[in-house]
Amino acid sequence: MTRREIRIAGAGGQGVVTAGRILAEAAILSGKKATHSQLYGPQARGGSSRSDVIIAPDTVGFPLADNIDTLLALSQKAFDKYVPELAVGSLLIVDTQCKSDTPPEGALYFPIVDTARLATGGELATGLVALAVLQAHTGLIDADALRKAVSGRIPQQHLKSSLEALEAGMELAPQGALT
Amino acid sequence: MTIQITMPGEKLIQGNEACVMGAIASGCNFYGGYPITPSSEIAEHMVRRMPKVGGVSIQMEDEISALASIIGASLAGSKAMTATSGPGFSLMQEHIGFAAMAEVPCVIVNVMRGGPSTGMPTSPSQGDVMQARWGTHGDHPAIVLAPASVGEVFDLTVKAFNLAERFRTPVILLYDEIIGHTRESVSLPESVTVIDRVTPDDALEEFWPKEADPDGVPAMSPFGDGRRFHVTGLAHDHRGFPTNDTAVAEALINRLHRKIDAHLDEVIEVEEYLLDDADVAIFAYGIVGRSAKLAVERARLNGIKAGLIRPLTLWPFPTAQVAEVARKVDTIVVAEMNLGQLVGEVERAAKGQAEVVSHLRTGGEPVTPTALEEVLAKIDGGNA
Repeated sequence: MTRREIRIAGAGGQGVVTAGRILAEAAILSGKKATHSQLYGPQARGGSSRSDVIIAPDTVGFPLADNIDTLLALSQKAFDKYVPELAVGSLLIVDTQCKSDTPPEGALYFPIVDTARLATGGELATGLVALAVLQAHTGLIDADALRKAVSGRIPQQHLKSSLEALEAGMELAPQGALT
Repeated sequence: MTIQITMPGEKLIQGNEACVMGAIASGCNFYGGYPITPSSEIAEHMVRRMPKVGGVSIQMEDEISALASIIGASLAGSKAMTATSGPGFSLMQEHIGFAAMAEVPCVIVNVMRGGPSTGMPTSPSQGDVMQARWGTHGDHPAIVLAPASVGEVFDLTVKAFNLAERFRTPVILLYDEIIGHTRESVSLPESVTVIDRVTPDDALEEFWPKEADPDGVPAMSPFGDGRRFHVTGLAHDHRGFPTNDTAVAEALINRLHRKIDAHLDEVIEVEEYLLDDADVAIFAYGIVGRSAKLAVERARLNGIKAGLIRPLTLWPFPTAQVAEVARKVDTIVVAEMNLGQLVGEVERAAKGQAEVVSHLRTGGEPVTPTALEEVLAKIDGGNA
């Protein structure tokens, strides 16, 4: 495994920052090194939200994104802003509600927001469902590490529904279909 | 003294949180501050954690009083720290000079954001490097440490406390918003070595507050232990009382510098990477040091003989180490997130033995590995 740069981008209230922390923690639990950074400033209060996670086998080196290779686009705004910046050949996981004249080549569409709503009654678990899709597709992190990281980070009162959202997300994507 | 850490194992920790953990591991038991982005998490964690270790955390009315509060706490025997960012750091300058002159150990963390003035609160910068050295007036000594990762924030916070106690002087920990806010996997050490200030063992009536040992560092008596006590920012004699005797004043100022300059090996820390056969070296610190390391590794894959010198100690400036690199390489690229603050020091140290060029960026974006890789390729192409 080489250095991977994953961007989770969506709307405020979709749990994007929490998802980034959980992804980094799951990577550590999977025996890898990780960093997590987020956008600070007015973006945090409504509007767009973004988490970048770098995962590497031994050492992360530069802790910020330099060449994003994986994008999880969870809102129309995030899709419009970050898809054009993505290098050819990157992994692109998109919520089905994001529209475009011509879908980007190789983009994988999943009902991420709807799955979160169905499992939890709201959109807060959107980021978690996206992580589940990423996990099932790539095996970049271990499924159990992801479950454990969620259990360690999500408050008790939301844990049961969050774990349900996670399992539902893993079922959206066939295990190990892509690497 | 060795202190055991009760948090072994690898964890995802934010830079500012690691600073608090390092402070507590060092025995910090007083925090006085005024929250400001991007350092506010330090204040938040201190408020939560100080009471649990029997310490005190207080929010003062501004940064001037924040530094005053830690000076007072330190004089009374505490290990004290404050944290701030650019605008607050400006307000602290007068008291930094006081702490240097009165020889009060304390740690000042400046998480740099974009300036000048209130600038860009949530954006990184390295614009306060010269202010950390020369922000307060007069010929004062300065120790300034610059971590480049979350793990190093922990390590250098411990070192900052140790140097402050060892030399009875304020120590500044300087890192940028990226280091402060990034969360990173960190393996904390199982224990840390902690240095405490030397306290007097003289009989009460034989003690003078500013009588230095041969090392140049006076023993420090906590206020209230019954020994003579006098503190002033005025030039003073061995009793701690003001004097206009020019010979005494000169000896004092020289001693404030000598106590550190005679022990540079304890203070200066530099990372050197792939320099042995290098034709070109990048000089970079803090977050830019990490961009540079990645750029050097990528350049090596393309056959460019590149290396890195990364000071963890910015002040006193590692002149001897930079001079040594200048003798080895043809070119030194100084990369900074400012309009050129340490490049002059590198030129001064290099003394013309290597060409010194700068790669500078301001406005809130970091110097990226890709940008430095391009700089290295261009220099290599020019020499081919």
